[in-house]
Amino acid sequence: MFDIVLFVVFPYVAVTVAIISGISRYRQNRFSYSSLSSQFLENRTLFWGSVPWHYGVITLLTAHLLPLLFPSLWGDLLSDRIRLYVLEVTGLGLALMTVVGMTLLIVRRLRSPRVLAVTSTADWLLLITLLTQVAIGFWIALVYRWGSGWYLHTSVPWMISLLVFQPEIQYVTALPWLVQFHLLAGFFLVLLFPFTRLVHVFTYPFTYLWRPIQVVIWNRRPPQKQRP
Amino acid sequence: MTHDLLDAKSAGAFGSLPGRRSVGIADARRVAMVLIWIVAALVGSARVALAQGGGDGETLFTQKCTACHTIGGGNLVGPDLAGVVDRRDPAWLSQWIAQPDKVLAAGDPIATQMLAEFNNVPMPNLALTEAEVSAIITYLANPGGAVTAPVVAMGVGDAAHGRALFTGASRLANGGPPCMSCHSIAGLGALGGGALGPDLTFAYNTYGGDAGVATFLNTMPTVTMNAVWARQPLTPAEQDDLRAFLQEASVQQRPPQALWQLTALSVLGTLLFMGAGHLYWRSRLGSVRKTMVQRARI
Repeated sequence: MFDIVLFVVFPYVAVTVAIISGISRYRQNRFSYSSLSSQFLENRTLFWGSVPWHYGVITLLTAHLLPLLFPSLWGDLLSDRIRLYVLEVTGLGLALMTVVGMTLLIVRRLRSPRVLAVTSTADWLLLITLLTQVAIGFWIALVYRWGSGWYLHTSVPWMISLLVFQPEIQYVTALPWLVQFHLLAGFFLVLLFPFTRLVHVFTYPFTYLWRPIQVVIWNRRPPQKQRP
Repeated sequence: MTHDLLDAKSAGAFGSLPGRRSVGIADARRVAMVLIWIVAALVGSARVALAQGGGDGETLFTQKCTACHTIGGGNLVGPDLAGVVDRRDPAWLSQWIAQPDKVLAAGDPIATQMLAEFNNVPMPNLALTEAEVSAIITYLANPGGAVTAPVVAMGVGDAAHGRALFTGASRLANGGPPCMSCHSIAGLGALGGGALGPDLTFAYNTYGGDAGVATFLNTMPTVTMNAVWARQPLTPAEQDDLRAFLQEASVQQRPPQALWQLTALSVLGTLLFMGAGHLYWRSRLGSVRKTMVQRARI
């Protein structure tokens, strides 16, 4: 019964809340759909945190989405041992990179007084959840190999069963608890989406993925000497 | 400046200005009403779906237990269960059948002794319901004759093809995953096979040779295996080939764990990616006046 709450009810609730609250926020507070960039306030550590984080996490999310969209093709891709190894090692490298990136982003928020001043409780909740999620993802990929193979035959059928409204939780309930935690934390992030700056994932157009870099610099007069 | 910061902070909290938060709460109430209905409907449908499992004790025993146990046919992977209801305390027996992993983890003396006796192959948790456990115990008390391992028709397998099926080089006919996704075995090469499930190097012997392995591959009795294989079973020919491969592998040495190599490769990959990023964007501030860049660093 508890498993049903976790692996059937919770995902549906998370997605429903995300959709309804996401649309509602867009209708009522459109200009809050933003990453609320703090590049103006601190730019150096941001590069080493944000760039590895975003390129890493976008690639890894794509790798989580592809087996769901093209299960058969993904199976073909992994049928060669060398391809499997290359894919897994690349994934592990990217996963560790996101862990490093997110750690730097968190350290930056703590160490820069300016950025700390604009960081809300919701931001902290989001950052900690994201760090936990990628760290556990990396650990799972390392310890419970080969995730790209068994993901296709456990989590994917579970998610498809949810998509077609015929939930089948036996695909995931026998997995190690860390894997189950990773699945649930994924849906927790979906739940956080409309209430945090994570909404910036859906800021159309997506050209920022490939447009040339924009340098953001706060140009102002140097601080004047204080009068005695 | 101060004003800007305050504004940004309040906007960051829930992405809305302070005055608009009440709207969010009213929204949440409306959403909650809809959700209660959805949740009720889902719990209802899922319970129906789960209740469809089950069955009588004999059917359950044949499906879930005969891969490892006989009744009066001698020990297999696990002990012969003839008279087990008289041998063991009823409460212990129900607890053991329902949650063998927990009983073992708690250091139960009978369970620990049996584990050592049966090649350290732990009895898996089969996720049986209370009703299913009692149905099985009722059946075990009065099985109406000896029950031996179901005879699985065995052909002569091709170990080389079994290896191809194990690694994925040959795809399984019904679409099941290559064994290597979750299992490792001797002779796979540097990084080996998966580590979600146990290493299968010595599985051929610990699971009772030809007859035991054949039954296991035919019924896939453990919860994890059953979830994956119920709708995409191995064909009889594939079972033969895999059995032959498992037998061949069982004489080799267990492969070393690739954990450290993989950790090193992960670190190397991260450094490469970040190094590439640095090289690609190293001149990102080159087009900006140096004095401006310096000032921005304050």
